[in-house]
Amino acid sequence: MTALKLLSPEHIAMVDRGVSVIVASRDAALRPSVMRGVGSAISADGTRVTVYLRRSQSRQLLQDIEAGGGLAVVFSEPPTHRTLQLKARTATLCPASPADLPLLQRYLTSMQHELAQVGYGPDFAAAMLCAPLEDVVAVGFIPEQAFDQTPGPRAGTPLGAPTATP
Amino acid sequence: MTSPSLHAIRPCLEGAIPAVMSTCASDGTPNVAYISQVVYVDEDHVALSFQFFNKTRENILANPRASVLVLDPVTARFYRLHLHYLRTETSGALFESMKARLAGIASHNGMADVFRLKGSDVYAVEHIDAIDGEGLPSVPGRTGLLHRLRLCSERMAACTGLDELLQGALACLRDALGMRHAMVLMLDTPAQRLYTVASCGYATSGVGSEIALGHGVIGVAARENTPVRISHMTHAALYSHAMRSSLQAGTADDATLAPGTEIPYPGLPAPHSQLAVPMVAAGRVLGVLFVESPQDLAFDFEDEDMLVALAGHLGAAIDLLQTAPEASETAPSPTAQAPTVSGATVRVRHYPANDSVFINDDYLIKGVAGAIFWKLLRDYTQAGRTEFSNRELRLDPSIRLPDVADNLEARLLLLQRRLQENNPPMRIEKTGRGRFRLCVACPVLLEELPG
Repeated sequence: MTALKLLSPEHIAMVDRGVSVIVASRDAALRPSVMRGVGSAISADGTRVTVYLRRSQSRQLLQDIEAGGGLAVVFSEPPTHRTLQLKARTATLCPASPADLPLLQRYLTSMQHELAQVGYGPDFAAAMLCAPLEDVVAVGFIPEQAFDQTPGPRAGTPLGAPTATP
Repeated sequence: MTSPSLHAIRPCLEGAIPAVMSTCASDGTPNVAYISQVVYVDEDHVALSFQFFNKTRENILANPRASVLVLDPVTARFYRLHLHYLRTETSGALFESMKARLAGIASHNGMADVFRLKGSDVYAVEHIDAIDGEGLPSVPGRTGLLHRLRLCSERMAACTGLDELLQGALACLRDALGMRHAMVLMLDTPAQRLYTVASCGYATSGVGSEIALGHGVIGVAARENTPVRISHMTHAALYSHAMRSSLQAGTADDATLAPGTEIPYPGLPAPHSQLAVPMVAAGRVLGVLFVESPQDLAFDFEDEDMLVALAGHLGAAIDLLQTAPEASETAPSPTAQAPTVSGATVRVRHYPANDSVFINDDYLIKGVAGAIFWKLLRDYTQAGRTEFSNRELRLDPSIRLPDVADNLEARLLLLQRRLQENNPPMRIEKTGRGRFRLCVACPVLLEELPG
């Protein structure tokens, strides 16, 4: 299975548009860590994904990713709960740069649109996703596994496999 | 990063915004998933809904550590709960209240058979991180709640009769707490049913309507002796929409997962928030105090706290007013002027099988209240009696009152209300504590159907 086959154009479009993103890892004692991302990006072919975290909010999580704990990331559309989970064993971390600003802004605008549909105003979304550039870290990874995580009994179905088994 | 108490972040545990949970498999692979319920159990514990056998479930059984991220729906501040899995409960108050919440959610979409709680996973809260962030200013908490509770308490404490008490309690809910749609239901233990004795805020009073013990929000609150609160049906309905499309996409070969039928609720046609609280006195569930609203998030955990306190007072007062010593019964009042009997003959029919009573073919009442009414009418037609006492009803074997907790006053009140609402030319009026009068203003023909 190549990474190219992992994600459908619909999934790539969902991630590219900018939906809720949650990142998890774990430490050496298998204690999980978790935080919401403040932005995301995906390459056109779906093989490279970047999620943005605030260092001050995610110290343990970033430490766990750097230490090789791997990462699990869910992308979810708030109005529909359509959800995708990606997993990777490794990721690269680097501080966000001014070049990332338009992307973070575009993400916020998209999330403001998404959250408006479930009753939360633009100020709420802006407070939730506030991302001072000096505090933001870009976490880049190549998805190795993908799962349909839309709530329900089929959640967890692997994507990209020739025959998907729950 | 500070560490708040679980109590301090209760606004985040209302389910307004779905929580996310990370776990880790024994091979070290992390997992992250949305979770539909994170419920406050006590200062040191939360319960999470277990609905499906999935990766989260597999992980938590192999490695009991979890990290849950919740968000304050007002301030947009995050809190991270570090949890340790303890056990799964599949019965009892916690499980049933969470299950009823899910059932209420699911019934909106015909998902009751699918959106089912398998268990309540209880976790110890080891630590809570208050996560750095700008956030929004918090809305000042509601003030004066205790004062409002005091007003309700004073008003209820002044009541001398059951009818006055129930009407007073409903007025308190409406005036002091802004809860406009409410019902009081009493539990008929032998029949395993709850019957409505008072209500406000509905097109019809619904007095006399029944709910089976264990059925719906009200029935579960009574059976499990636990408050049941549904506060975000709209959001939850979206959640189950997603589940249903997920089901339809992949269950062609599994007929057992077909969408089920909805649970019918009494009261508002489209409630968005509901709260049912048991009324308990001397360790016994007497009934349920129920409120609902067409608005989302109408009742928060503080409303629940208030209603539990109020229901405790109400339960104690109901118990007291019903078990007042018979010795305190006042002497029979002088026989009032009998009402003028006139007009067409009214036919009253009684079916002994369930003690149902019909007046000119219109259903009036059944059960114990039906048996009481039938006894009164027989005594009236056979002996011309119009003055009665609670004591003789308790001693009359034809009425079959339970030995304890007979709720006689509530049943008389129910009968009185049904007569008022159906408006036949007959009524019941109180003549003193433990005494009442049957007033009949028409010729009556009694028909006893074969049992």
